[in-house]
Amino acid sequence: MLSSLLALAQHAADPAQAEAMTATAAAGQSPVFWVIVIGYFMLVLGFGAYFAGFNRSTSDFFFGGRRFSWWLITMSIVATGVGSHSFLKYSSKGFEHGFSSSMTYMNDWFFVPLFMFGWLPIIYYMRVRSIPEYFERRFNPQVRVLATVALLLFMLGYIGIGFVTMAKTLLPIIEPHLGWDLMTITWVVAVVAGVYITFGGQTAVIFTDLLQGFVLLFAGVFLFLLGLDFLGGFDAFWNALPAEFKLPLANFNDDPGFNFVGVFWQDAVAGSIGFLFMNQGLIMRFMACRSVNEGRKAAAFNVLIALPISAIAVSNAGWIGRAIANTSPELVSPATDPDKVFVTVTALLTTPAGFGFFVAAVTAALMSTVDTLINAVAAVTINDIYRPLKERRGQTPDDKHYLRAAMIVSAIATLIGVGAAWGFSQFDSLYEAHGFFQSTLTPPLVAAIFLAIFWKRFTTAGAIATFLVGGVLIVLGNQLPEVFVRPLAHGTPPLPGEDGSAGGGYVYIGALWNLVACFGTGIVVSLFTQHHRREETDGLTMWTVESARRFFKGGEPNDRPGFTMKLRWERHAEIPHGTVQVDRETLEGLAADGGEIVYVTDARGWLGGLRSTHAKVLAEPHDHGEVVYVAPDVADNGHFLPGRMLKVEKEM
Amino acid sequence: MPLDFDRVWLPYLYLYGVGGIFFLGGLWMVVRSEGYNKLRPGDRRWLGLMFFGFVWYAGLHGAGILAATSLS
Repeated sequence: MLSSLLALAQHAADPAQAEAMTATAAAGQSPVFWVIVIGYFMLVLGFGAYFAGFNRSTSDFFFGGRRFSWWLITMSIVATGVGSHSFLKYSSKGFEHGFSSSMTYMNDWFFVPLFMFGWLPIIYYMRVRSIPEYFERRFNPQVRVLATVALLLFMLGYIGIGFVTMAKTLLPIIEPHLGWDLMTITWVVAVVAGVYITFGGQTAVIFTDLLQGFVLLFAGVFLFLLGLDFLGGFDAFWNALPAEFKLPLANFNDDPGFNFVGVFWQDAVAGSIGFLFMNQGLIMRFMACRSVNEGRKAAAFNVLIALPISAIAVSNAGWIGRAIANTSPELVSPATDPDKVFVTVTALLTTPAGFGFFVAAVTAALMSTVDTLINAVAAVTINDIYRPLKERRGQTPDDKHYLRAAMIVSAIATLIGVGAAWGFSQFDSLYEAHGFFQSTLTPPLVAAIFLAIFWKRFTTAGAIATFLVGGVLIVLGNQLPEVFVRPLAHGTPPLPGEDGSAGGGYVYIGALWNLVACFGTGIVVSLFTQHHRREETDGLTMWTVESARRFFKGGEPNDRPGFTMKLRWERHAEIPHGTVQVDRETLEGLAADGGEIVYVTDARGWLGGLRSTHAKVLAEPHDHGEVVYVAPDVADNGHFLPGRMLKVEKEM
Repeated sequence: MPLDFDRVWLPYLYLYGVGGIFFLGGLWMVVRSEGYNKLRPGDRRWLGLMFFGFVWYAGLHGAGILAATSLS
């Protein structure tokens, strides 16, 4: 789709597109444009350099030390969720189909209860580091291998697509002025993203995504306001659109290219489960929360508030474009290629310098998706390949070794991503192959992980069959859609084929067959095979979450409510590693027992937990008043600053 | 395309009917499992938020449909 941006610069056929091309070229000549774009890249690199100092262990590198507040995680999830192609894709859908382009952002609530009460506590309390690791603990090493291969191939390919998408976005602006071709731009972007991820790890990813989340949401909403102002206010905008265009849900099943029922099964069901339960990057983000409760707040705020705003931010260029096309067709032609409407509208509504800001926003959306994937690839490679290999050889390197390895893997993943980007830019067949691979492998992973979490009867044989047999059935459905997909298609017609016949297959509703095939296989095989005993899956299904809490706490959880205490702190070399010591009154206020885990943080809430850590509180209180003694390793892990107040609270 | 029932309300009823089955089925599992403990006040508040979220989105979409069909 983004290659159309290049075509826009080369083949502008109508006045509106010519104007967009002129504005795009003019943007490249504006010094302010370059100040914004280069300044943005420098800022991102600066974040990486600064946050590299916060990485002392693999827990820091992959999970940010499990210390962050919900609002920080929410914004970084927004940046990751608004994908590398969102502005262009949803503006295009908005221009064609109206407000129903927001459907995919506003149908994620149905599976949130299972995520909040099931999957989130399991991964957090059981300290699951990766999806494949969960599969081994729930089933056996063979299932872990299957999941590792599938996830790595999927994510590395996706990094390549992210890079090539980003480079194609920037190409029409940069090429005329600097003469850089697609691969040169890819290398520059890869170096920027690769450097801050390699050295900064998850902490850098979270903080750069915080910045990028704000940039892309602000840019999208600002563009909407500019559009309303251009049209003469909200009433003028509203009245310029026909009623059907303003409906929030698409036609039920008429249009084979975009219909409600297909989007429901592909996105509200398969997509939501995939995003909430199978996304390695998202899981690592929730693992970076300081507690399960903070993770729940992040998820709730994200789905209830951030996603509806995101839907407007990414779609509105299409809505504004359609309103202008209806009232001033000489400015935006009704026949504008939908894939080009985002650039056309943005160029129309902004100055050349302002256009730079929107390029930065699109770049932010692209980079924040790629950075999460690179960090996730490093986590899977270290935790599911390198570490088990070392253990099998009887080697026990220290955590510093794995931290160095993680950085090297991040750099290598970036290089492989550049290689994949080159492949995707050279061979359309590779791009299609990745799309096919993704659509074939994602449903088995989705079904296997969902059944594993929520159905205690789900067996190892069922999981393997879900991957292998489910994958074969998906391929069959793809080859013979009339046999397998049509009976489930809810009357949706197939897309027209190249010769005009109805042989183009089913775009969205095909997901229903994929789900039926994978869930059906897993359930049927599990019913006829031996399942695990309860103690073998303790803490790994929703039915045994209390065991997971005990695993995390190292004993029976203490649910007595306590207070958050604000205290001076002193580094104290006499107390054991990993502990803090408080006075008796504070210990009673915390409602904590000796040896219990407490969360210790810099009292400045706006840091979002950047300077914080977990520690065990000593049973024996000191008698020196309102001061918390902190063991040297705890002070170092928390990055506490001398003279600053700390807050201490019991980890519930 | 005419703005009849099939175009306007059928998608809405399907979304919150079939989606509602997934949602309520999920909540039923949550309440029956160890994931939820009614003695913990926090869990009760979160469960309440689950219902609020469902009503929130059903309300947003419902209001959007009414606005599209009623406000010229």
